[in-house]
Parts: sequence; structure tokens; C-alpha cells
Amino acid sequence: MKSHQVINLRHLTPSAYIIRLEKKNFTFKTGQYITLGFSGSIDRREYSIYSAEQDDYIEVLIKDVENGLLSKKLKKCKPGDMLDIDGAFGHFSLKDDEVKNKKFMFICTGTGISPVHSFIHTHPEMDYTLLHGIRHKEEAYEKETYDSNRYVLCTSGENTGDFNGRVTEYLLKNPVSPDTICYLCGNCHMIYEAYDILEKQGVKLGPIHTEVYF
Amino acid sequence: MKTIAFKTLGCRLNQYETDALASQFQNNNYKLVDFDEEADVYVINTCTVTHQSDHKSRNFINQITKRHKDSILVVTGCMADNAKDELESKDEINYVLENDNKSALFSLVEAHFNGEIKHTDQLNKDRFDYGSTEKGFHTRSMIKIQDGCDNFCTFCIIPSVRGRAKSRPFQDIIDNIQSVIDGGAKEVIITGVNIGRYEYEDYKFDDLVEAILNLDGDFRLRISSLEPDGFGDKFLGLLSHPKMTPHLHLCLQSGSDKLLLGMRRMYTIKTFKDTVEKVRAIRPDFNFTTDMIIGFPGESETDFTDSCNMIQDMQFGHVHTFKYSIRKGTRAERMPDQIPEKLKTERSAILRDIAEACKLKYRSQFVGKTQRVLVENINGNIGRGYGEHYIPVQFEAENLKQNTFYDVTIKKIHTDKDILLIGELI
Ligand SMILES: Cc1cc2nc3c(=O)[nH]c(=O)nc-3n(C[C@H](O)[C@H](O)[C@H](O)COP(=O)(O)OP(=O)(O)OC[C@H]3O[C@@H](n4cnc5c(N)ncnc54)[C@H](O)[C@@H]3O)c2cc1C
Ligand code: SF4
Repeated sequence: MKSHQVINLRHLTPSAYIIRLEKKNFTFKTGQYITLGFSGSIDRREYSIYSAEQDDYIEVLIKDVENGLLSKKLKKCKPGDMLDIDGAFGHFSLKDDEVKNKKFMFICTGTGISPVHSFIHTHPEMDYTLLHGIRHKEEAYEKETYDSNRYVLCTSGENTGDFNGRVTEYLLKNPVSPDTICYLCGNCHMIYEAYDILEKQGVKLGPIHTEVYF
Repeated sequence: MKTIAFKTLGCRLNQYETDALASQFQNNNYKLVDFDEEADVYVINTCTVTHQSDHKSRNFINQITKRHKDSILVVTGCMADNAKDELESKDEINYVLENDNKSALFSLVEAHFNGEIKHTDQLNKDRFDYGSTEKGFHTRSMIKIQDGCDNFCTFCIIPSVRGRAKSRPFQDIIDNIQSVIDGGAKEVIITGVNIGRYEYEDYKFDDLVEAILNLDGDFRLRISSLEPDGFGDKFLGLLSHPKMTPHLHLCLQSGSDKLLLGMRRMYTIKTFKDTVEKVRAIRPDFNFTTDMIIGFPGESETDFTDSCNMIQDMQFGHVHTFKYSIRKGTRAERMPDQIPEKLKTERSAILRDIAEACKLKYRSQFVGKTQRVLVENINGNIGRGYGEHYIPVQFEAENLKQNTFYDVTIKKIHTDKDILLIGELI
């Protein structure tokens, strides 16, 4: 576990924010997560790394959850505060040989877009489609950083996205070709349902292709 | 001669570590005595994986502190990592030894008897610095290949207490195994916390298994518990090797994909089934044993039924059932929909009955077949040990020798205590 200084906080919505931390000699594979907590505190939570492998800082995208302990506390941290980082952990990662010549579909909900942001910014040349499921349009975190031809916003709470409904509904209406490599990240129910739909569409999913947040 | 007694709770890795430590004390003129007897040193190798194991560990600590005030008491293992401050505040416990310096137990005890007071911080920290287990408690030689885990399943405290995954150098393992085989070991068990994730330089788990199987000598290889993720066709192919025992303990934990996701396990019911089916297509009597958690947060009646059905579908040879218990600091602690204790108990009883029926069915198929039994215990002319499928077998013969293979035809099955196969020497 190492202490890293907070460089700054970027508030994207009233509840979502990005913490940028100094990188020091930290290394990770895009898609991995860290555990984060205030230096010396026993309360720690997992956060996917939002930044790219080559960035000279570490970023995490966090949404404060109702009755949440750490996501609320972290929101109050200030430049200069020290946070303890452990990791990087996890097997939600791209295969080097696939990145260059395969078609990818990233399916995520809410802050589940975080490791996908890291994927795409680490490998900007990738051939991907990004399906982002949210309730309201302001949760389309840093939408402008993705190629708009590859980004499909699914809004379930209002008709403001590219598709009005859940990502699973989008998948049912727009089947995925079986040679697509799919990665799913976010809440457990979405992943469970999407997994089923994709399997029926002939997509093969291995253990590295899902990351459950809660 | 000084006497030492061990009590070990929990996993095979703890068992291995106790065995290796006990061997080291025996090699240095200590007499190993039963935990119920008077001893100069008591070592409790604790576990903290469930509430029950915490409770048992505490009971054994209390037992010793009440009865044997003059002996040295060392508490080690995962509880020593997880509740260090609490244990250290008890005057009756002489030393609290974390997993990191467990392998230095002997030097700690020796220092104590030489009048030195060593602080545990001064001890050597090496997770693999254990000798062989040739004395200890078991005929089978356990070899530690890996420690720690980075999977962070949401119910599990092990990554917090055992730390990051660390693999032992490849050549060290091969040399260690060759030396125990040369020393007469007939069954080698490779063990660790999450051994499927073994990775040292360019060697992965299947490369290691292949290299072990290619060693010379009359031995067989058993793999301790394995997570059902991360191994491919190469590993499955090695399961047909003549030196490989046809048994795997693959931890399933639940029969419901929804719960597996909530547990953040790295496989699905389908991939688990595919593995079992692939292996059994080649060897239909292959023994799969497993662990199941009952009452994980959110476990519905349907999820539970899925778990029961999965046990029947997979025809497990043995199922270790655990009632889910909250471990502090894990994600599952913070999950909604915790299951009431009463319901967990009811479901456990149902699942255990199903598992016992499966075990009986599985073991019954061996009547009329042969097993190669490695004799561990001898009582007069009665020998007991495990066949290659890891099922207990008992048979009668004269001049029986421990740690020797005997080919036995299974004649019948006893169901009194554990389900025991009764055989006849061929
Ligand atoms: C591998 C992994 C990566 C993760 N990456 C991210 C990330 O990049 N960004 C991020 O914001 N979160 C991420 N999370 C979730 C994060 O770890 C915390 O669970 C979350 O920040 C809530 O923590 P808390 O202490 O505020 O709430 P807690 O006090 O832990 O929980 C309060 C309640 O909120 C529920 N809850 C937990 N997480 C969520 C959620 N995301 N949405 C709604 N309810 C929830 C819990 O079940 C609990 O009932 C990740 C989780 C995992 C396992
Ligand atoms: S794989 Fe999961 S259950 Fe096994 S030790 Fe690691 S975290 Fe615990």
C-alpha cells in the first residue's frame, strides 16, 4: 500500500467526480482497479482506474451513493490530501493480441464506464462500440472524450439519449455479431441479463469479460 | 526432550504449514504430543474464514490458557493477522505470529528457551521457507507453491489476511518435490491459497503441473483445492496423465449465476459444467468435490434450488457446505438482503442431505472396481488410506506397511460414520 497525493478533483455532476492522484511509480494494466482509502484509515473501497496506462497521473471516477460511507467522504478531499492506494488488482483486461484486430463492444452502466474510458484512451486505435446505460443525460460522464460515431447513450429515465431504454433492451433490438469481443461493467443485474442475451446471440464470454461493482 | 502440541484449523495450506513446522521440531529433538496432553509448547494455527472458525480458534486458545499456565502458547495463522491487537493484549498468549513469519516459529521457540525474548518483527519473513513434511501428521507430502490471493471474492477475508498472490520460484518447487520423492514420498499434494493463478516468470500453473508429472519416481500427484477459473485445455489434458490422481476440489460456492456475479466469482455455471463434462467424457468416474456457501446475501428460494440441483447434476463426490457468515471489511458485509440465520440453517440441512446422497451414489460405483490405496493408518491387520480418487478405503492384509501402495478390489461400502469403501487385496 502506498500513499499518493491528491492533485485535483473534477466535479462532473452534483454526485459524480473524478479524483486525480499523483502516479509515482505505480503501474497497472488498463481495466484493473485499485482499493482506495484515506491514509491510515481501515475503510477502503475498490475503484476502477479511469486514466490511461500512459497518463502520468491516476484518475478514478466516483459517484457518491446514497448512505454510502466512502464515496461521500472522498468527494470532500482536497488537493494535497493523501490517499492510500493498493493494487492494481483484477483480471478485467484486454488481450494484447485482440486489441489490434478485433471488434469490441463495451457495455456499461453508470460509473462502470470508468475502465472502458481507460481501455479506449490507452488504445485509441481500437475498433469499438460503447454502450453506456444511465438514467439521465448528465450522467454521460465526459461523453465528448469518445468518438461520437462509436458511442451509444442509452437513457432509461428520459428520452434524451441515442436510445430510450436500458442497455439490455438495446441489445435485444440490435443483436451483436458473434465475432465481437464484449466487456460488461457495472451493476450485477445488468451484467446478469446482458450476459444471457449475448450468449443467446452466440457471443462467447470468458471470466475476464465482466466486472461487477455492486 | 521437550514436547510440542499443535492444533490446526482451516484450510489445507494451514495443515501443510503445521506439518512442515511439526517436522522441523521433530528433527530437532522435540516430541510431538497430542493437543490434549501436557506439552511445553502449544501452537494454535488459527483460521478466520468463517465465524465458526473464529469461534473454534478462540475456544482452543481458552482451553490452553485455562489448563496449562506454564506452557508457551503461540497463536499463529489468519486470526493472528486479522485480530493481532486483540490477541496480543491477552497475557496468556506468549507470542502472536502472523502468517508472514509463521515459518520462523522454530527459531522463536528456540530463542524463548534460550532466554532470549524475540519480538516477532525480528523474525525472518518468508512465506515459502518451510521444510518438508516428511514427519508431521500425514503420509502425503504437501508442497506449497503459492500464497495469497488477489481475487477479492466479495465474501472472503483471505486476500486481506494472506495478502497479495505470490508464487514460489519454479525451480524451488521442482527441487523440493524431487527431494521428497527421492525421500520416499508416494503422494505429493500441491497447495496454496489460489494455486490456479500460479505464475512465476514464464511458467503458469499448467506448466508447473506438467513439469511435476514428468519427474521420475513412483508417486502420484494430487492438486488441493482449485478455483474453477483460469485454466485451459492444456491443464485438462494433464488430468489424464497416469501420475495424476482423478480428483479435483473445484470450489463452486453457488449454483446460481446471479449469486456468482454477486460473489464476484470468475466463472459461470455453464463454464463450470463444461469443465466437469469435458473431464468426465474422458474419465466418467473422475471425482469432483466442492465447497458451497449457503445463505449468501440475496439468495432466493430459486437460487438455493439451483444450488441443490447443481450438486445433483454434477454428482459431486463430496461437498463442503458453509453457512454464509459476515466477515468484517468484505464487500458482502455491506450488501443488503442478508439471509436470516434460521433460514440458512434450514437450507444447510437440506443441502447437506442432498450432498450426502450424492456422495453415497458416487462412491457406490466403485464396488467391484479397483483402487490403488496409499496406506496411512494401520491397526493390526487393518489398513486404511485413500484410493487415487481420494475416497477412504479400508482392507485387511498381513505385514502392512505405511506409505505403501496396495491394489485393492472394492467389495462393499460402509455407511456408518463416513462413507467408507471396504476392499480386498488383489
Ligand atoms: C472492482 C470494483 C470496481 C469499482 N469501481 C468503481 C468506480 O470506478 N466508481 C465507483 O463509483 N464505484 C466503483 N465501485 C463501487 C465502490 O467500490 C463502492 O462500493 C462505492 O463507491 C460505494 O462505497 P461507499 O463506501 O460510499 O458505500 P457503502 O457504505 O459501501 O455502501 C452503501 C450501500 O450502497 C450500495 N452500493 C455500493 N456501490 C454502489 C453503487 N455503485 N451504486 C449504487 N449503490 C451502491 C451498497 O450495496 C450498500 O448497500 C467498484 C466496485 C468494485 C467491486
Ligand atoms: S479465490 Fe476468492 S474465495 Fe478463494 S481465497 Fe481468493 S478471494 Fe477467497
